[in-house]
Amino acid sequence: MISVALALVLAASSGDVRVSHRKVTTEDGAALALHRYLPPGDGLLAPPVLLIADLGFGRGLFDGLARYLAGEGRAVYLAELRGQGASDAGHSLRTVIALDLPAVARTIAAERAGPIDVVAHGYLGSLVLSAAGHELQVRKVVALNTPVLLEEPTTLMESFLSEGGRFSALASSPEGFAEFDQLFTMGVRGDRRTVAAAASRARDLSRPVAAELLAWLHLGDLPLDDGTTVLARLRAYDRPTLLLLGLADAWAPSESCAPLREFSAAKVEVRMFTRVVEGDDFAHASLLIGARAPQFVFPEIVRFLK
Amino acid sequence: MKLSLSSLGGEGRGEEANRPRLAILLLTLTACAGLQVVPLPPEAQSLRARTDDGWEISLTRYLPVGASKGPPLVLCHGIAANERNMDLDDQHSMARWFASQGRETWTMSLRGTGRSDGIDAKAGRAGPISFDDYWKHDLPAVIDFVKRTSGAPEIDYAGHSMGGMVLYAYLSQGGQGIHAAATLGSPTRLDWGTGLEVLAKAIGPKIVTKEWQIPLAFGSAIAAPFQNVVEDGPFQRFFYNPQSTDPEAWRRLMVYGTADVAGGTALQLISLMDTGQFRSGDGTIDLRADMAKIKTPVIVVAGRLDRIAAVPAVKDGYRALGGPKEWLLITRANGAQGEYGHMDLVIGDRAPTEVWMKILGFLIGAASRE
Repeated sequence: MISVALALVLAASSGDVRVSHRKVTTEDGAALALHRYLPPGDGLLAPPVLLIADLGFGRGLFDGLARYLAGEGRAVYLAELRGQGASDAGHSLRTVIALDLPAVARTIAAERAGPIDVVAHGYLGSLVLSAAGHELQVRKVVALNTPVLLEEPTTLMESFLSEGGRFSALASSPEGFAEFDQLFTMGVRGDRRTVAAAASRARDLSRPVAAELLAWLHLGDLPLDDGTTVLARLRAYDRPTLLLLGLADAWAPSESCAPLREFSAAKVEVRMFTRVVEGDDFAHASLLIGARAPQFVFPEIVRFLK
Repeated sequence: MKLSLSSLGGEGRGEEANRPRLAILLLTLTACAGLQVVPLPPEAQSLRARTDDGWEISLTRYLPVGASKGPPLVLCHGIAANERNMDLDDQHSMARWFASQGRETWTMSLRGTGRSDGIDAKAGRAGPISFDDYWKHDLPAVIDFVKRTSGAPEIDYAGHSMGGMVLYAYLSQGGQGIHAAATLGSPTRLDWGTGLEVLAKAIGPKIVTKEWQIPLAFGSAIAAPFQNVVEDGPFQRFFYNPQSTDPEAWRRLMVYGTADVAGGTALQLISLMDTGQFRSGDGTIDLRADMAKIKTPVIVVAGRLDRIAAVPAVKDGYRALGGPKEWLLITRANGAQGEYGHMDLVIGDRAPTEVWMKILGFLIGAASRE
């Protein structure tokens, strides 16, 4: 039986949004960070929203959206899975579905019964979609550049992952920062200090996880511990979904994400952002931390989850 | 009054009366802005092919430099464009570059654009023009004419944007005579939920009729002198990336590389935004589904920051192709020096080495695999 430790680490308030931080312990004993953002009311009128950032990223990327959603009256849980933020190190993508998500789901269910809404991001987001209807009881999903039919990695991505996915190396030099910008923000139209902060807060992938992602990219599918695969699960995926695509995403490119609408059984609404109208092409990280994200991306999420 | 730009190569032949006045007006404006129409090189031969429904298509032929090294290559422009996209000036010429590599190269203007025939009821060309006319009539006529003129049994083909869609449609319906091909920024889906799409779907069908020729050539030439006044202006955002294309080249393209858009064509493309399906104008042929029947080798090229034919829209076409195929994404993450927008693929400063060289390699490879 999984023991879920609900240690209240810290509680803080930000305006009217109340923020608290918990530790969740998985069945195999890993500690995960779960950040709760509660609205001025109790947020009980709508399902809670679970936010999960992509590999390497964590609360630093999603804090703005979490506060925004809470400000709109939603109870928000921001989970950091193994290898993210303040959680324990991760050594395999497979533990996400088999162990991390069930632990997070049970913790939320203990506080609020019923299905949840999910905002999922990138490759980790694809695993979250794979878990929807299985390990996670989900009402609606907002998918931010979540790949389905994976693309062969670009030269830069192949190099980054072959070297172990070391974000710390990218944040430590101007050349590295340029690579981070190329992969995750693509000359984001906004505060470059925000980008720099995101780069510095990103956690290195473990070498096994980097290798696993690279294999996933090359093979196009990821086998899971229960004998299924990510592709097999995504084909049966059927949750109502808003797929938000940043044109400039060079990490989880839109062309690998767009097929969700014909590949899966879900009703998928697609919304692509470009500089022509929104003033930003929105890359992988700037979908969440770009200066224009609160103006264009966040309201779309709120609208769909209503 | 209908606006026309034919004397500058911007609009199909017809509407004779308005030409001189408009040409003088535009020449005055562009001259004031230091913009000149760069003439075609002396070696370029202007020819005309006749379609099975009686329209003349303008072609320009560039003989290979040195010994011929493969089938003749036909280059076809996209929407709101003409053959000068493929030979803008000495420094930006896909046509002259391929000729320099030993390929007999041809540029063409689809009906209603460049020096090709436009709508002229008195001459028996009442119109309207639709996308289907391009693949049913124009491309077959061009293939036949180039084969007869050059003596080659087949041609190679490279189409930019809608020029690639014309290829897809033609081949999907059993079109013959193409040995290998390239498409650059050619979408097969246009339903991506962008703000512009919403606008086009809401307004387009209300103001555009099949019979109308949307006067983009004139508007473009008028706007050209004012480019670069505003940094990151709307044209720059939409069409090209200054990381990859000299803004002066873009201004020249606006003066003599643009064309009016046939209302029928515009409505057919707007329907793609609405339905997400690549079909014939009457809806009876699912062109995308039939692309699975294509056996011709095709290299599909996309630019990461193409805001007209977004990468997933181009990739959709790649996935639909049934024959031998290759995917080429132009991006800094794959070694390009700058990101590519829609027009950078054909007029980009480094396109010869970053794009066209790879297309040539594919065409040569397609020949060597036989």
